[in-house]
Amino acid sequence: MFFAYDADQEEFRASLRRFLSDRAPLEAVRRATATDRGYDVELWRQMSTQLGLPGLHLPEEHGGSGTGLIEPSIVLEETGRALTSSPYAAGLLASLAVLRFGSTQSQADLLPGIASGELVATLATAEVGSPAGVGGLETTATSRGDSVTLTGTKVLVEHGHTADVLVVSATGADAGPTGARLYVVSGDAPGLSRTRSQALDLTRPVAQVMLDATPAVALGEPGDLSPLVDLGCALLSAEMVGGTAACLDMAVAYAKDRYQFNRPIGSFQAVKHRCADMLVALDGARAAAQYAVFAADRGSPELATVAPLAKAEASEAYTSAAGSTVQVLGGIGFTWEHDAHLYFRRAWADAALLGGPAAQRARVADALGL
Amino acid sequence: MDVDYPPSAQEFRSRVKAFLGEHLPADWTGMGGLPEDEREAFRVQWRRTLGEHSMLAVSWPEQYGGAGLSLVEQVVLAEEFALAGAPQGSENDSFGIGMLGNTLIHLGTEEQKAHYLPKILSGEQRWCQGYSEPEAGSDLAGIRTSAVLDGDEWVINGQKTWTSAGHLADHIFLLARTDADAPKHRGITFLLVPMEQPGVEVRPIRNLAGYSLFNEVFFTDARTARSEVVGEVNDGWRVAMALLGFERGVTATTDAIRFRAELDRLFALARERGLTSDARVRDRLAWCHSRVEVMRFRGLQALTRSLAGQRPGPESAISKIIWSEYAQAYTELAMEILGPEALVPSGQRTGGLLQMPEAGTENSPLSWVETFLAARAGTIYAGSSQIQRNIIGEVLLGLPKEPRLDAGPFRELAASRSSQARG
Repeated sequence: MFFAYDADQEEFRASLRRFLSDRAPLEAVRRATATDRGYDVELWRQMSTQLGLPGLHLPEEHGGSGTGLIEPSIVLEETGRALTSSPYAAGLLASLAVLRFGSTQSQADLLPGIASGELVATLATAEVGSPAGVGGLETTATSRGDSVTLTGTKVLVEHGHTADVLVVSATGADAGPTGARLYVVSGDAPGLSRTRSQALDLTRPVAQVMLDATPAVALGEPGDLSPLVDLGCALLSAEMVGGTAACLDMAVAYAKDRYQFNRPIGSFQAVKHRCADMLVALDGARAAAQYAVFAADRGSPELATVAPLAKAEASEAYTSAAGSTVQVLGGIGFTWEHDAHLYFRRAWADAALLGGPAAQRARVADALGL
Repeated sequence: MDVDYPPSAQEFRSRVKAFLGEHLPADWTGMGGLPEDEREAFRVQWRRTLGEHSMLAVSWPEQYGGAGLSLVEQVVLAEEFALAGAPQGSENDSFGIGMLGNTLIHLGTEEQKAHYLPKILSGEQRWCQGYSEPEAGSDLAGIRTSAVLDGDEWVINGQKTWTSAGHLADHIFLLARTDADAPKHRGITFLLVPMEQPGVEVRPIRNLAGYSLFNEVFFTDARTARSEVVGEVNDGWRVAMALLGFERGVTATTDAIRFRAELDRLFALARERGLTSDARVRDRLAWCHSRVEVMRFRGLQALTRSLAGQRPGPESAISKIIWSEYAQAYTELAMEILGPEALVPSGQRTGGLLQMPEAGTENSPLSWVETFLAARAGTIYAGSSQIQRNIIGEVLLGLPKEPRLDAGPFRELAASRSSQARG
């Protein structure tokens, strides 16, 4: 029984937090996301070569460190706390799709590049009518002989306008019983047009990706893609926990410093209790996210219920904490200059990705056989 | 990370399971499955069985007649008892064994341990807790019940209230004001007082749900020996705080098991009424499941800390808020599911327990209405939700306290409060 992070993991977390606060404070995040690319290439190079982050969870034969999923969840929690803009999360999810569904050949083709950080990969699954992007798809694969082309529109593709490789979900005659299958599309494939979206979330670049008879290669055999959504929910929960914690820190620090009526506003119960509620929600979300990642790491069948419930818990904790933070900060919290709105935007964006809390609870109810 | 219990704990679990299998009646579903008139007799007999097999006082060291179990073993035992719906002792045991016993073991004199511990264990003495007063609820240190030395005896005057199981008790541990000229936290003494004497009167209070589980206790020149002080005279606040640590106990790790049984009842209720396809009810049921899972995950974290030798601390305030607010939410959902059936509720009663019905209680509309009514208590007793949020804000987040208006000698505070009340 050890349901906690071990000493090495805590040390890893601490060193990563130091690195991000030195190298990518929020003013740097704002600068990086304002560029066309949307992230700092030099920072990404350091995260890749110096810290080895993109390959942490990948097998050693593909140039990774073989850590399992706990360490990547720590990365996400810390990058979520710092709002780091980098293709880390996009590459992580794409690589998990390749690991789970890809053939030996496609793994050998893609994973070493992802592990080294040289190949930026992303998952292009969501559509306007399908937030999770594994069912009810309109993007369609068409086979002619040995060649496959994809036609359709994907949205909310993280770093989709710059990624070297896209893992795309599509339906079609070869999609198997679940009606969805994964394909690999090269960033420079013909018929691919990609536009960075004007997004609510300012610190995570997303793109609309249009495929028009774009050549693609099937990623392994057809299969149920919902485990990929569960992995995404579990890992996204960890990111949201980091963001929630950052909001709480920000609100508490302000409540200690800000004086009104000749006393710190944090001494008023109206403010104190709102902060306490943030911690109660954070604590529950953290436990749920930790368990969901643990279940994902173990490949446990429990993942089908604990991942969506963790996503719902973390979404509600984060959106409510981000809103409370703006409220505790008062007028300054409503300015463009203050960083609170960056978290408020991220919170609502994360909550909606892969389906919001009500959609997640519907999945929980389904999994429970209600 | 792993969530598997250590082999020694699993071995212990097998022993507990074997014990329960051997000693519980064959058709046992829980106390709620027994006819009401058979429950008291079962309780008495069951407590004796527990005592004979070292399953009582599991947190006490063996030298005092306890089971000497580690925290993990206590959790395993609590889990197995909860799963089987078996009581872990009488209503007075949580006060006598869990609170007073552990406090005496850590802070009592050798004479006090030798005198009291065996009597608590045997059931010869049944204890209750005298803390709250009409003028001292959340502000516990504002107690006014006084104790004055008269030769070799303390003479006690005042009133305690919300005294759970006081009507079943023959002894009370209480906080009394012994120096009104000291600041409020510094003039309090922790006293052990026999209740079977002319100066002690117990009057039951009927609660909102219709049950009489707690009491007022009046002291009129009641007496206890000068030696019946735990800790030092005027240092009772420290003793009370130490006792709070034992009160927290291992429940954070077993909340999930108890609420899981209730959730199964709730799912069954929704299925019986054909409401599991209703989008709103489905959403709320999945939410309830999520909250109980959060309790389970937090329990695993707490257990991990226990294994590392840490005792529960102020983070218990978070657990208290989570379970007590959840208890209101899930019973409110039951009310919604029942609809008009809840207005003239039928079927088996619950027995009135404040957290949840006895295991084995029939899934009746009346059991839900009573559980719904009782759930209002959880956010008030043992530190209201507002006090818990103060603890979370001030202790866990380090937010500043409110400016205090209660410094100085207690006598002056009490006098100024009285004049305000008159004014």
